[in-house]
Amino acid sequence: MSHLKDDDLVLQYYGEGGPEMLTAARHLEACTDCARAYEALARTLGAVKPPEFVEVPDDTQALRQLLREQVRAQTWLTEPRAIALAWLVPLLYPWALPAFFASAQLAGEQVPAVALSVLALLWACAGPVVALAVLHGTVDRFDRVLTRLRVLGALMATVSPPLFILIARGGERLPTWYGAIAVTAVLALVPWPNVSGPTRRLQFVHRVSAAVLGVFILGHIVNQSLAFVSVPSYAEMRSVMRLATQQSISYVVILTAVAIQIVTGATMVLKNVGAGAFARNLQAVSGWYLAVFLFSHVFAAFFLPRPAGVPPVAASLVPPYLLTSARATAQLPYYLLGVAAFLVHVGVYARLAAPAYLAESSVRRLSYAATFVGAMVVATVGLSLCGIHIYG
Amino acid sequence: MNDGDVEVFLALVERHRIYMYNLALQLTGNEQDAKDVVQESLLNAFRHFHRFEGRADLRTWLHRILVNCALDHRRSLRRRPDAHHPQPLADVADTAASNSPDPERLVASADWRRLVSAAMEAMSPLERVTFALRHFEGKSIAEIAQAVGIGHNAVKQHIFRAVRKLRLALDAACTSTPKRTGWSSR
Repeated sequence: MSHLKDDDLVLQYYGEGGPEMLTAARHLEACTDCARAYEALARTLGAVKPPEFVEVPDDTQALRQLLREQVRAQTWLTEPRAIALAWLVPLLYPWALPAFFASAQLAGEQVPAVALSVLALLWACAGPVVALAVLHGTVDRFDRVLTRLRVLGALMATVSPPLFILIARGGERLPTWYGAIAVTAVLALVPWPNVSGPTRRLQFVHRVSAAVLGVFILGHIVNQSLAFVSVPSYAEMRSVMRLATQQSISYVVILTAVAIQIVTGATMVLKNVGAGAFARNLQAVSGWYLAVFLFSHVFAAFFLPRPAGVPPVAASLVPPYLLTSARATAQLPYYLLGVAAFLVHVGVYARLAAPAYLAESSVRRLSYAATFVGAMVVATVGLSLCGIHIYG
Repeated sequence: MNDGDVEVFLALVERHRIYMYNLALQLTGNEQDAKDVVQESLLNAFRHFHRFEGRADLRTWLHRILVNCALDHRRSLRRRPDAHHPQPLADVADTAASNSPDPERLVASADWRRLVSAAMEAMSPLERVTFALRHFEGKSIAEIAQAVGIGHNAVKQHIFRAVRKLRLALDAACTSTPKRTGWSSR
C-alpha cells in the first residue's frame, strides 16, 4: 500500500475512513513515516479543545418580547392567502397573454407603452416566482389537504405557460384549460404516496440523461442568443443543428433522454420540496417547468396537431418573431421561462455540488457571475424572439 | 399564533438553551455572536414551530436550525469586514511562540487558545462550522451533511481544508522556526 495522504489521516483520526480504516490502521502500524505524520496530526488536533463551558445569559424576557412582536407582525402570506395566490396564477394566465400582445402592439406605436408590455410579460412569467414564495412556507409532508392544495397550486402556477401551449395545440383553449385546473385541484383530495425512499440511483440516471440532453439544449440556447447578434449566423448554425438532430440515432437519444428526465424527475420531485429550503425548492420548481416544457416541445408533436397560424419555431431557419399574432405571443413566456428554468436547474445543481471542489468564496463569486451571465442570456434570447437583432 | 403559544414555546425550549448556547459558542467562537445566533435560531424555530409536530427530537430540530443560523451569521460577518478585526494570524502565532517557547507549556496557555481562535477565524463559514461539529460535537460526516444541507464529499473537503488551516497556524507556533508553506511533515 502506498503512503496515506494527509486527508486519509484526517479521516482516520475522526474514524470516518469507512471500510478502508482497517487497511489504513495496518499500514500505520507498518509504516513509520505515516505513523509519525499521524501522531503529529493527532497531537495538534488533540490540543484543539472546545471553548470553555459558560453560563447562559438570562435573556428570556428579551426573547419573550421579540417572540410577541413576531406574533403581532405575522407573515403576510398566511396559508389561505398562499393557496389563493398560487391558484390565481393559472386562473388568470390566459388573460395575461392578450394583455401582453395588446400592450406589445401599443408599444410599437407609442414608446411609453413599452413599460406596460414589460409589466404584462412579467405577469405572464410570474408563475415560478409565486410558486417559490408559496413553497417557502410549506411543510415537507403532504398528509394535509391544504398542504397538497398549496403544492399543487405552486405546480400549476409554475407550469402554466407550457401547459397552456400544450392545451392550445389540442384546439380547445379556455374550457379545457379551466377543466385541467379543476382536475388538478381535485388531486389534493387524494392521499399522496410516501416518498421517503432512497433516490441515489434515480439521481444518477437523472444526471446522466441530463448531461446528454444538456448538450442539445445548450446548443439551442447559444444559437438563439446568436440570433440577437446576427441572423445569418443563426441560420447557418441552425441548419447544422438540424442536420445533427434529425439523424435517427440522435433523435432517439434525445427522446429517450427527455423521457428519462421526466420519469426520474417526477419520482424525485416531492422529496425535493421543503419548507425554507430555497435552493431545493428552486431546483424542484425549475424541474417541474422543464418537465412540462420538454414534454410539450418534444413529444406533443406526436399526438397533437399544431394550430394554424403558429410558426413552427423548431423547424424554421429564420429566427421566430413571436409578436406577430396573439397565438404566437403565448410562446414568448413559454420559451423565456424554458431557457431560465434550464439555466437555473443546472446552476443550482452546480452551486450545491461546487463546495466539494472549490473554496466557498470562489463558489460564491462564480455563482454571482453565472447569475449575471444567465440573466443576460435570457434577456438576449427574449430580444431575439421579439424580432430585435443587431445585424438582420 | 398568540401570546399563549409564546409561553408554550419558551417552556419547551428552556431545557435546550444551555446546549444551544454552548453549541453556538463552538460554532461562532465568541459569546456575543453565540447569543445573537441562539436568539435568531429561537426566533426561526418559533416562526416554523407548526412544522415540528414531534416527528423528530426537539433538540435535533433546534440543532439543525442553530447550525444554519450560525452559518448565516458567519457569512454576514464576512460580508461586513468592519464587523471583525481579528489580529493577524501570523502575529498571534509569533506572540504565542515567543511567550511560551516550550510546546508543552504553549498548549496549556491562554496564548494557545487565542491562536486556535485566530486560526478558526481564518476558516470560511462552512469550514468552521463543519470542523466544529466534527471536532467539538463529535457529529459524523453524515449528520453534518444533513444538518448543513450539503453533500458528504463537500463536508469532508471543508473539514480537510479546516484542518490544513489549523495545522498551518498551530504547527508554525509550536516550532521555533515557523513553517508557513505547508503542514505535512512528509
